[in-house]
Amino acid sequence: MLQVRNIEKYYGSKNNVTKALDRVSFDVADGEFIAIMGASGSGKTTLLNCISTIDTVSAGDILLDGVNIAELPSGELARFRRERLGFVFQDFNLLDTLTVEENIGLALALNHSDPNAVRRQVGAVAQKLGIGDILEKFPYQVSGGQKQRAACARAMAAGQSLLLADEPTGALDSRASKNLLEIMSEMNSGMRATILMVTHDSYSASYAGRVMFLKDGRIFNELLRGERTRAVFYHEILDVLAVLGGDVSDVI
Amino acid sequence: MTLSKLSLRNAKRQAGDYLVYFVTIVLAAALIYAFNGLIFSKEVQELSQLLKSLPLTIVLASIVVVGIIRWMISYTTNFMLTRRSRELGTYMLIGLESRQVARMFFLENLMVGGAALALGVLLGNLLYQALRAIVLALFGTPYTFSFFFSVKALGLTLLYFALVYLSVQMKSRKRIRGMKIYDLIYYEKQNQGAVIRTSRNRRRIFVLSVILGIAGSILLMVGDLLFGLIGAGCVIAFLYSFFLCFASGVPAFFDRQPARKYRKQNLLIFRTLTAKLASMGILMATIALLFTATLISEGTGMIFRAIFRNRTAQNSCFDMILSGDAQTEVFRDCKQYMDENIPVRDGWQYPVYLSKDDTVTAYLESNMKYHRYYKADTVMRESDYAALRSMLGYDAVTLAPGQYLIHCRPYVAAALTDWDRTLEIGGQALVPAGLRTEIFAQQAYDVNGNGFILVVPDAAAEACVVDHTMYAALTEEPVGAAQQEALYGLQREAYEQNGYSGDMLLYTRSAAEAEVAAMTATTVFPLFYLALVLTMTAAAILTVQQLSETDRYRRQFALLRKLGMDRREMAAALRTQFGIYYAMPAIPPLLIGVPFIVHLAGATEPGIMVGASAPATIVGICLGLFFAVYAVYILLAYTSLKRNVLPE
Repeated sequence: MLQVRNIEKYYGSKNNVTKALDRVSFDVADGEFIAIMGASGSGKTTLLNCISTIDTVSAGDILLDGVNIAELPSGELARFRRERLGFVFQDFNLLDTLTVEENIGLALALNHSDPNAVRRQVGAVAQKLGIGDILEKFPYQVSGGQKQRAACARAMAAGQSLLLADEPTGALDSRASKNLLEIMSEMNSGMRATILMVTHDSYSASYAGRVMFLKDGRIFNELLRGERTRAVFYHEILDVLAVLGGDVSDVI
Repeated sequence: MTLSKLSLRNAKRQAGDYLVYFVTIVLAAALIYAFNGLIFSKEVQELSQLLKSLPLTIVLASIVVVGIIRWMISYTTNFMLTRRSRELGTYMLIGLESRQVARMFFLENLMVGGAALALGVLLGNLLYQALRAIVLALFGTPYTFSFFFSVKALGLTLLYFALVYLSVQMKSRKRIRGMKIYDLIYYEKQNQGAVIRTSRNRRRIFVLSVILGIAGSILLMVGDLLFGLIGAGCVIAFLYSFFLCFASGVPAFFDRQPARKYRKQNLLIFRTLTAKLASMGILMATIALLFTATLISEGTGMIFRAIFRNRTAQNSCFDMILSGDAQTEVFRDCKQYMDENIPVRDGWQYPVYLSKDDTVTAYLESNMKYHRYYKADTVMRESDYAALRSMLGYDAVTLAPGQYLIHCRPYVAAALTDWDRTLEIGGQALVPAGLRTEIFAQQAYDVNGNGFILVVPDAAAEACVVDHTMYAALTEEPVGAAQQEALYGLQREAYEQNGYSGDMLLYTRSAAEAEVAAMTATTVFPLFYLALVLTMTAAAILTVQQLSETDRYRRQFALLRKLGMDRREMAAALRTQFGIYYAMPAIPPLLIGVPFIVHLAGATEPGIMVGASAPATIVGICLGLFFAVYAVYILLAYTSLKRNVLPE
C-alpha cells in the first residue's frame, strides 16, 4: 500500500543544516499496524509528517498505491487527504466550535455526502469506538480519552484507508491509553485500517504488529510481533531500546 | 454541516472572542453613518450658507477614518489568522482545499462585518440625532426629534465598508492560499526574534531616536509649514525607532542585570511584558502615533473653537456695530436703511479719538504680550461712554474734573493694576480714576480700542484727532443675513461715492454667531470625529492583543498559585503589568502633544485663550477626553482578564 523510498529531509538555513531523515526506506502492506519508535529528535514525527503530506521531503519518493504524493497538485492533495488519510494527534486537534458529531462528520459533509448518510456513518463509527453517547457534546465537555476516540472516529469516518497517529496516547492517563490502543487494534483488525503510529512509549508500541526504531534519522532496527503475545513483544521492544540507548522514560 | 454554516458559527465565536474589536467596528460604523447623515441632511445644509464646505471636510475626515479602520481590521484579521493557524491547519488536514478555507474565512469576516455595519447604522441613527441637536444648538435653532434615514448616507457608509473589507479580505485570501499546512500546524512552535539584535546598535538608535523626538517637537512648534512637515517626519521616526529599541532593549537590560530581575515581582511582570513587546515594537509605535494625532486633533479643534468664539464674544455686547471713516456722515445710508428695516431698541454714534502719544500702548508693549494696532492711545468722550454704559445696562460712572479712566479687557487690566500715571490729553493733565473691565467691543481693529480705551472729559477728547466713527446698537430682533448683506452693500457704495478712507466694519451678532457655529461644525466636528476613531481603534488593538493572552495568563497564574504565590500579590503583578502595557504607548504622545497644544494656544493674539479657553484648561479637557475613551478599553480588558485569570 505505502512505499517509502530513500527519503531525506533537511531543516535549517545555509549555515546550519539539520538532517532529520537520512535515506529512509520501508514498505507498508495493507492492513498493517506499525509503530515508529525513537528518542526525541530521532525524526519519527518528521517521517510521519512527510507521509501525511503535512511536510515535504527533500529527496526520495513516497508512493501510496503507486501514486507519488509529492507530485499531486494541491486540489488533488486535498482530496487525497480527505479520502485516504486519517490523522490523530497527541493534542487531539478537534475544532472547539463543533460538537463531537460535527467534528467527526465535517470531512464527510465537505465531501458533499448526503446529510443523512453522514449522520448514519458518524453514528456507526462512534458506536464502534464507544462514544455514541457524547456526540452532542462539545470537545471541552468530554474527557481526554473520549476526545482522542473522537479524533480516531474523524480519522476513519470517511472510510480512509491509512490512519496516521502522532503520539496518540501522549496526553492520556494509563487507563484511557489502554482503552484507545485496544480500539486502535480493533480498527486495525476489525475495520481493516492500516495504521502508522509514532510513539516513544513501549507499551503503546507493543500493540502494533511491527515496530520500527529510528535513530538520528535512520531506521536502526525493526521488530515483528508475529505470533508472540503482546507481553513478550513488549519486553523485546524494551531490549531493543536498551541497546538503542534511549531516554530513561522510553525504558521504564 | 456546510462551509457557510461553519463560517456562521465561527463568525459568532469571533464576535464573542474579539468583542472589543467588534464593538469598535460597530461604533466606527455608527460614527461614519452619523457624519454621513450630516452631509446629506437638507435641514443642516439649509441652516446657513456657511455650511457649504461641511460635506467636504467630513468626507476628508472620513477618508482618514476609513484608512485607520482599514488598518485596524487588516491588523486584527491578520492577527486572528495567526492565532487560529492550528485550526486552519486542521481544516486543511481533513481535506479542505486552501481556497475553501479562504472562502470560509472570507464568509466569516463578511458576516462579522455585516453584523457590525447593521448594528452600527442603527446606533448611527441615534448618534446622528445627537450631532443634529448639537448643530441646531450651535445655530440657536430649537431641536425637535424627527426620524432620519438617508439612503445616500447608508450607501456611502456601505461603500466605505465594502472598500475596507474587500481589500482586507483579498489580502488574507492571498495569505491563506499561500499557507503551508506544516507552518499552520506547527506555528506556535516558531519564535519571533527581536528586530534589533546587538546592544550597540540599539544604544545608537535609541540616542538618535530621542534627539529626533526633541528636534521634531521643536520644529512642529516653529509654525512654518516646511519645518512643521520635517518635524512631523522626525516625530514619526522617533516613535518607531524608540519603540523598536525599547521592545528589544528590555530583555537585554534584565539579562545584563540579573539582580534586578529577581526583585519583587519584576521577573513575572517583565517576562510577561517582554514576551509581547519584543514582537510589538512597530505596533506600539503606530499606536503612539495615533494617540499623538488624537491629542493634536482634539487640541487643535478646541483652540479653533476658542478662537472663533472668543474673538466675536468681545463684540457681542452689541447687536450690531458699524465702524468707518472719521466723517460724521459715513453711516447716513446705512442708518436710513435701518430706520426703515431694522427696529433699533437703542443706538449711539460716536467718534473714537487718538491721543497725541502712546504712553499706555508703549507701557503695555513692554510689560506684557500686547499687539499694537493704533499708533497712539485711543480715547473716548466721557458722555459717549456714559451713553454706551447706559445702553448696555452697566452701572453709571462719573469722572471728576481732571480725571480719566481706562476701560480695558481683563487680560490688559492684569498689567495695569499699579497704573498711576498722569496723562496729558487734549492739553489737559489728567489723573487716573481706575479701571473698568466689562465687555466693550475692544477686540483688535476699528472698535473701542485694541484691548483698552481712555475715557476722558469731553473737552479733552474733542481736542484730539478722530481716528474712526462708530455706531453701536441694540436691535429688537437679530439682524438677518439679507439685511446684513444689504447694509454691507450700502456701506461699500457710500465709501466708493464719497471717497471715504479707513477700514470699514460691519458687525452683527447674529452673523458672527452663525459664523462661529459654521466654523465649529466644519472644522471642530471633523477633528473630534477623527480623534475619537483614532483613540478607539488604537485602544481596541491594544486590548485585542492583551486579551488574546488570556489562556496563557490563566495557565501561568494557576502555576504560580501552586508555587505558593499569594492572590493579592498576583493581582498586584497583573495590575502593574497592565499599567505599563497601556501607559507605554500613551507617554510619548503626552510629551509631544501637550507642548504642541500649549504652543498653538499661545500663538493666538493675547486675550483670546483665557478663562475656559486657557491653554491649561484645553490641555486638561483634551487629556480628559482621551483618557475617558482609553480608560473604557483598559477597564474592559482588565475586568475581563482578571475574571478569567484570577477568579474569586
